[in-house]
Amino acid sequence: MAQSVKPVTSPVPIAWYPTLAVIMLAIGLTVTASFFIYEATASRKSRSLFKELTTGAVASVFLGFGSLFLLLACGVYV
Amino acid sequence: MTMEAKFRFRLALVLVAAFSALAGSNSNQDLQIINAERRIDLTSHIVKVYLTLQVENTGESPASEVLLAFAPVQAECLSLVKAQVATGKRKKPHHPIDVKPVEVPNAPNGAKLFSISLLKPLNPAETVTLEVLYILTHTLKPFPAEISQSESQLVYFHDTALILSPYHIKKQTTFIKTPTKRIESFTVVDPSNHANNEIKYGPYDSRPPYSFSPVVVHLENNNPFSVVEELVREIEISHWGSLQITEHYTLVHAGARHKGVFSRVEYQSRQAFAGSYSFKNLLARLPPRVHSVYYRDEIGNISSSRLRTSPQKSELELEPRYPLFGGWKATFIIGYGLPLEDFLFESLDGTRYLNFTFGCPFTDTVVDKLIIKVILPEGSQDPHAITPFPVEERRETSYSYLDIVGRTVVVLEKKNVVPEMNTAFQVYYKFNPLFQLAEPLMLVFVFFLGFMACVTYLNTDLSIRKQ
Repeated sequence: MAQSVKPVTSPVPIAWYPTLAVIMLAIGLTVTASFFIYEATASRKSRSLFKELTTGAVASVFLGFGSLFLLLACGVYV
Repeated sequence: MTMEAKFRFRLALVLVAAFSALAGSNSNQDLQIINAERRIDLTSHIVKVYLTLQVENTGESPASEVLLAFAPVQAECLSLVKAQVATGKRKKPHHPIDVKPVEVPNAPNGAKLFSISLLKPLNPAETVTLEVLYILTHTLKPFPAEISQSESQLVYFHDTALILSPYHIKKQTTFIKTPTKRIESFTVVDPSNHANNEIKYGPYDSRPPYSFSPVVVHLENNNPFSVVEELVREIEISHWGSLQITEHYTLVHAGARHKGVFSRVEYQSRQAFAGSYSFKNLLARLPPRVHSVYYRDEIGNISSSRLRTSPQKSELELEPRYPLFGGWKATFIIGYGLPLEDFLFESLDGTRYLNFTFGCPFTDTVVDKLIIKVILPEGSQDPHAITPFPVEERRETSYSYLDIVGRTVVVLEKKNVVPEMNTAFQVYYKFNPLFQLAEPLMLVFVFFLGFMACVTYLNTDLSIRKQ
């Protein structure tokens, strides 16, 4: 019995949730800031769509996971 | 007294009917009970009856089952029947035996029969000793039905001095244990006596099948008659590491109704006499490592509760907003979180299952209607529940945070639940671990949509004037 079943745990230790939320949201917001700086400073002609998309994607990954960990750290278990 | 007389008359009628029915349909029973001992525990409002039967097979063929009989009135109040073969040694593990109700068309006067299937058939001339425990709820009827604050609660207990059985009983004794020495009256069926807080009926010799003799015991019982009319337990599983439990209670004092006014001064100053039958606190035994416990009702938080935790168990002691007297109700909600790894397991074939305690965490409390809702994570498939007793089962769908298709809810419903039923039950389901990424990916997608909107807006030329 003890060998055949194993307890299911969370993929990330619960104690890391607050730290992860802070770090990921910080990175996410920094990348978001750089995205908007780039949008505002580069002229329409010189802008590269690829760079815009990659910066946006990276920022959204960090912001998405960061907000999930923020929810979990607050006790909203989704 | 007129009520009692009426009751006796009715019981007498029942008796006559029972015997007349019996005369026509005496089934050929090959079993007989050599010695029967019954101990009825009336110390709480949950009546526990311990029955020890020494059964002998007098027939020619082996017998595989033993029948227990209950009067229809008792069968309605019956919550649980457990049986085991007495091994004689205390250390030896007892094997519980299957007990299930059987329909016997010719049972005298609607007596309800339960069949105990023996582990190994009882051969002719052999004997076996069975230990049976059955629990009755709502059998103690308060009389007088309405009492004032300073009175003591008296209740009636109706039973039979002779054990109702489809077999011939050679010798039998019944002991009734009462909570206090105060016994107003009890029916005398010779030989019977009363000493301290115990009434003894018997020993009676050689009684034919289905014989009974109704008795009424009028006794004092000031124990809390705490009954939960309806309990809804929601168990929400989150694979991110938590099990959230929310319990909605409708608690009632099911004893003698309170009459007249309630004097808080008298209640506070003379607690031993005034309101001795009321109760003001409850004890809930929660699993260890419980966290984020709350206790509230419609108004808001109720601060009168204490939580004691230890590595083995957690105890939550709580007081409703007011002491409960007969007929008074209180509704409240308890919620707590538990670590996931203590209750959720994965078997080798990848099926996950929740292993949780059935029943109500309160001690000495009867639940009239228990509804357990196990809310599985989104994306769970093929759920099925395994319970130690038959329950009603159905499916629902609930929506919570970050849900699209909704979560599958396994609803289990059981009536008349006693604390002895607090044993484990399991809910099995299949879950693909990749589905766990659905929630973060949903958030990521939403943020990405925002960025895309920005990019589209900044790259679109909305000006009318040509540059």
